[in-house]
Amino acid sequence: MLKMFDIELFLTTIVFILLVTKTKLHKESSMSYQETMPYREKIAWLSMLAMLFTFGPYFTLVASGYFPAKPMPDLHQLAGYAITATLQVTLLLVGHMVLRRRNPQDAKLPADERDIAIKQRSVTAAYYVLITGMILVGVVMPFTSSGWEIVNSALFMIVFAELVQFSMVVVGYRRQAG
Amino acid sequence: MKGSLSNNIRLLRFLQSEMTQAELGQRVGVTRQTIAAIEAGKYSPSLEVAFRIAGEFKLPLEQVFQWQAE
Repeated sequence: MLKMFDIELFLTTIVFILLVTKTKLHKESSMSYQETMPYREKIAWLSMLAMLFTFGPYFTLVASGYFPAKPMPDLHQLAGYAITATLQVTLLLVGHMVLRRRNPQDAKLPADERDIAIKQRSVTAAYYVLITGMILVGVVMPFTSSGWEIVNSALFMIVFAELVQFSMVVVGYRRQAG
Repeated sequence: MKGSLSNNIRLLRFLQSEMTQAELGQRVGVTRQTIAAIEAGKYSPSLEVAFRIAGEFKLPLEQVFQWQAE
């Protein structure tokens, strides 16, 4: 019985290998990575790029001294931050809408065990970055700095932690790409 | 103990009237990309998903997944 099964399996394997190049399975495996990219990886890319395109220029301006030090509340600086945040939210909204329209089926699917595992790993890594940043900003910086310097440092650490999280999600999916 | 998990999912899908990764994923409750990652041996599924996959092919677990110790 077992031998019969083995011969059967052997023959079917050969047929399978011969036919696989012409089957739908081959088409599936030859799809480009972009076509098969998980929806959640696309969302991670979108979030990462939206953050880089908005907070990248903002922190470049802050570092270059574009906002001169003024007593709190510095409305000029506050406006700079508000514009950046609004731009980021707009980019995210438009990006989510485009992705949902392009992948309506994938967008509806709930997270599976692999999605959850990747998310957990990325959140854990980002947590360590965030907690280190918050200790530096909230405990160390008040002795040496004040006002917007502390606010911007805290914002930077939050943005950095988020970037770590999104990067970890992308790396997680890329490593396990089929 | 080091080793690797291999599987016959691709062959079994072929035998099941060319079942697609998306169809199998839908039946066991994971995404098409997760099935692709399992097939490629890049992701080891949980026991529950492994049993569900084997159940879809009406085979015992060891005929779908094999553990090879180094």
